Amino acid sequence: MLIFSVFKTLTDQQVTVELKNDLSITGTLKSVDQFLNIRLDSIKVLDEARHPHMMAVKNCFIRGSVVRYVQLPAEHVDTQLLEDATRREAAAQQKR
Amino acid sequence: MSFFGFAEKNLESEKRRFLEDAARGAREEDLAVYTWGEDSYDGLGDALQEGGDELNDETFGGTGAVGKDFDFSNTTLLDDSHTKPSKSPKVQDPLARPQVAQQSATGTPQPTQPSRTSHSLESVWDDKSPFSVLPRMNGAGRTVGHASHSAKFTTHTSTPAQSLLSQQSTSLSLGENAHKDVHTLEEIEAEMLAAAAARQLQLQAQAQAEVQAQALPHALSQAQLRAQPPRQGTPQHAATPPPRMHPHSQSPRFHQQQQQHQIHILQLQQLQQQQQQQQLLELQEQRERQHQQQLRELQQQLRLEELERQRQLRLQQMQAGAANHLQSQAVHQRHGSLSPSLSDRNLRHGRSPAAMTPRAQLEAPFQQSMQYLPQDIQMQQRLLAEMAQAEFMNSMQAGVQSEREAREEREMQEVLRQEAMRKIMEAEKSEEKRRRKLAKIAHMARYNDLMTQSDKDFITRIQVSQLVTQDPYADDFYAQVYSALLRSRMGAQPQDERVIKFGSAGGVGLGFGQRGPGRRQNALQRMEAQVERIVQNARLREKEKISLNSLQGALGKTSGRSYKAAPRQLLQVDSTSPTPSPAHAHISKADVVASRDGAGATREAAKFGREALATTGDAKARKDPLTQREALMIIERLYDIVLDIEQHKREEESIEDEEEHEAWSKRLEQLIEQLWQGLQVTVYFETSNPHPFVSLLTPIKGKRLLPRIARHFNPDQMRIVLTLILACFAQLDVVKHASILDSLHDTVERRDVENQTQAFVGSVVQTLLPLIAKTDLKMIRGYLGILLEPNTAFSAFRTGPGLALLTLLLSRVAVLKQNMASATEISEMPSPEELAEWQQQLNHLFELIGPHLLTLFPSVRIGIISGLGFANVPNADVLDQPVWQFLASLAVHAQQEQQHILVTSLREMVLECVASVQKGWVTDPEDRKLRLNNVNLFLHALGLDASQIAV
Repeated sequence: MLIFSVFKTLTDQQVTVELKNDLSITGTLKSVDQFLNIRLDSIKVLDEARHPHMMAVKNCFIRGSVVRYVQLPAEHVDTQLLEDATRREAAAQQKR
Repeated sequence: MSFFGFAEKNLESEKRRFLEDAARGAREEDLAVYTWGEDSYDGLGDALQEGGDELNDETFGGTGAVGKDFDFSNTTLLDDSHTKPSKSPKVQDPLARPQVAQQSATGTPQPTQPSRTSHSLESVWDDKSPFSVLPRMNGAGRTVGHASHSAKFTTHTSTPAQSLLSQQSTSLSLGENAHKDVHTLEEIEAEMLAAAAARQLQLQAQAQAEVQAQALPHALSQAQLRAQPPRQGTPQHAATPPPRMHPHSQSPRFHQQQQQHQIHILQLQQLQQQQQQQQLLELQEQRERQHQQQLRELQQQLRLEELERQRQLRLQQMQAGAANHLQSQAVHQRHGSLSPSLSDRNLRHGRSPAAMTPRAQLEAPFQQSMQYLPQDIQMQQRLLAEMAQAEFMNSMQAGVQSEREAREEREMQEVLRQEAMRKIMEAEKSEEKRRRKLAKIAHMARYNDLMTQSDKDFITRIQVSQLVTQDPYADDFYAQVYSALLRSRMGAQPQDERVIKFGSAGGVGLGFGQRGPGRRQNALQRMEAQVERIVQNARLREKEKISLNSLQGALGKTSGRSYKAAPRQLLQVDSTSPTPSPAHAHISKADVVASRDGAGATREAAKFGREALATTGDAKARKDPLTQREALMIIERLYDIVLDIEQHKREEESIEDEEEHEAWSKRLEQLIEQLWQGLQVTVYFETSNPHPFVSLLTPIKGKRLLPRIARHFNPDQMRIVLTLILACFAQLDVVKHASILDSLHDTVERRDVENQTQAFVGSVVQTLLPLIAKTDLKMIRGYLGILLEPNTAFSAFRTGPGLALLTLLLSRVAVLKQNMASATEISEMPSPEELAEWQQQLNHLFELIGPHLLTLFPSVRIGIISGLGFANVPNADVLDQPVWQFLASLAVHAQQEQQHILVTSLREMVLECVASVQKGWVTDPEDRKLRLNNVNLFLHALGLDASQIAV
């Protein structure tokens, strides 16, 4: 829920999604769901020469399970708030 | 024609005579009239040879091959279709076929035959058949079965006349095989029909193969279209099927049909091409005729100069006409019907609209346009080429007469042609675009209604059910607070609901929605409905469970893990660690181990001994300083408390009751007290070195915690914090490790210290700033006194945080002095004694700082270590800025001789800075400006300016 909550605030921001097949896609985050499936718009692949088949693709839907990393724009993440949210999450889990 | 024997007879008159006879006969004799008396009957039955069955064997396959006598289908198509199309039986109508055959058969001389409708062999062949001599019992049964089967088969295959094209050979060979067996009348008829149809189709194919500019292809295509079974229209026009309807999943029958359709389509395309070519040919012919005419005219008018202008006029008109023609064609295209041939085709399709499913109708026009697009372009290009040719010819002819006029004419034509060309291109482009869009829509339309509304609801329900939580605010904490922050940063907006609550059942955090209000509202309503349903379902299930629970164990206990048990966790960390708060179990235990090796145990023992000796309640017992792990644990607990407090404060809004509010504030006090105790500020100063509170400030998150804590403390508490910080100043990590900063090497430690220092100045000093800004002179003196303790003073001077604090204190005094001069705040007015004491303290400060004035500058310190001139130290100006600020605040308070000390000791520094700026040693204008500003900070405090200094 925490990460979902964070990603929700990042809609319409530029993110880079690194997939488990070593494909790195940069694009505008359009939506995220609770499985962390990601919808990207106006995408660009990192190494286009290696992935020519991706050149024509303009938007994509990424299944959450194939994502390795998501690079977030630092200026749009409140680190301290994120720490707090993590603490709350940990505390909530402790209660359960 | 031996069967009828009417070589010279006129069929029409024959028929008329028969009809009259029939009418008369009907009047004369009272016999039942057979069906042939109807209008469609041609009366040929009368002309048949009556009686005499001698030809039966020949006719019905007893001997040799079947003759062509029954093959009227062939003759009717070729001959009768022109002479009497309405009367002759339609070849294409397979259902009408047996009827006709039967009619003619009834005319055969066998009136004595019993009812023909029963298809038994006996009734058909009576005794005349050679098979009649065979034993009936088993043989007849077998043949009957076989015959009926083959009859069924042949009739089945022949029903769609089109399929005969591919099955022609099989049905023929079947017919040959059948010769050896007994045939029913129907069987034979079907065979002949098949043969006839096949021959006809062959003929059509031949006709198609030849390129003929006649009406034949047209008629043929029509015939083909009519022959085409209507239901085949659907798959033909369906575009590539959507994944679910992939052809591989279809039956072989479907594939067969598909192939046939492809053949059919190809034929149609051929036909269209032929038509177009024909049109083009006609056009060319027309052009040529025009040219010839023009030539003739030219020859006639060669002598007459004044008629030349007329000719020009006509030429231009013709050009315009051609352009218009092309334009109109383009316009025509834009309206969907591309070319005459295509619209014709569309019309033809329109004849069987019921045959096409709505989807096919939707897609068909588009598909057609796609098919014919290249051909149309080709045609236009050809027309253009012709036009150009014509112009060239014309201009050549004109060249004979006058070159100048010809040139003008050519230019004119060129302009016209280009104009026309441009328009055509534009029209084509827009048409292309429109078509592509249509294609996409049509393509997507295949997926329309793939999911029903209930499907969609189901999925929404699944998604929503995972999002609904008991406490939507807490579970969506980050998004909620972040959006709140963002909103407050963008300017206060009306606070609308960011969390949907569903009674007591829970809710969904929305984060921040930026979409249009209408759509969102709608979605919210739908979501609410879904959630309600989920909740209801959950309740029902709960009830069910309860009723089930009562039965559980009734049949004995189940052993082992039940399905309800939680799945085994991947990471199994023992949660029984001795830490007080397991929530922070992630903090490494390595620190504990590291600090307590070897002698640790004995020290511990000694400590316990001391504690045992000490009287109870004596808090002065020395303790070991907090380990990093302990400090981190405490910090995390403090954070938890802070979060609790913040949450608690947020809850204030929802409290209405007075009593409740009391309880709330009591709880808040309790929490703050907890926080205060947790901070360990009140622990005796000598408890450990570093002091526990300093240990808490050591990690960067400890430093960042202070401003958040400070919000909840009262000023008295904060003053204690400030005092403690000043007293333990030398123990602070940023002070202890400050010397690491005096180096040019970019190491991990240096960067770490840098970060820590920044955090300290940014968080701790910033927290103390408002506090100091409200302190009176007496307290300031106190603080300064603490800071200038012999053991801390030196470290204070040489570190950024120390200088920052000193600057803060000094500038506060400056403000106080100003207030005193203007007599604004009387309450803070220091007494003269206090001022005198202050002056004394200041003198003390000067004494302490005097010898070290130059080494206050980080750049100087770095320069000494690295052997560089201080001015050459990179980034020197940024590093030195706090020092200049401090010196400026010091200079304000300095007396005459103190100022003198300042100037003499800093003279070199100032001069070099000014010189480096004025002589342009510093190349970067930004650096130059910064350096000058730094120097001026100090000089202005003395009442000087850098511009006064001449180097």
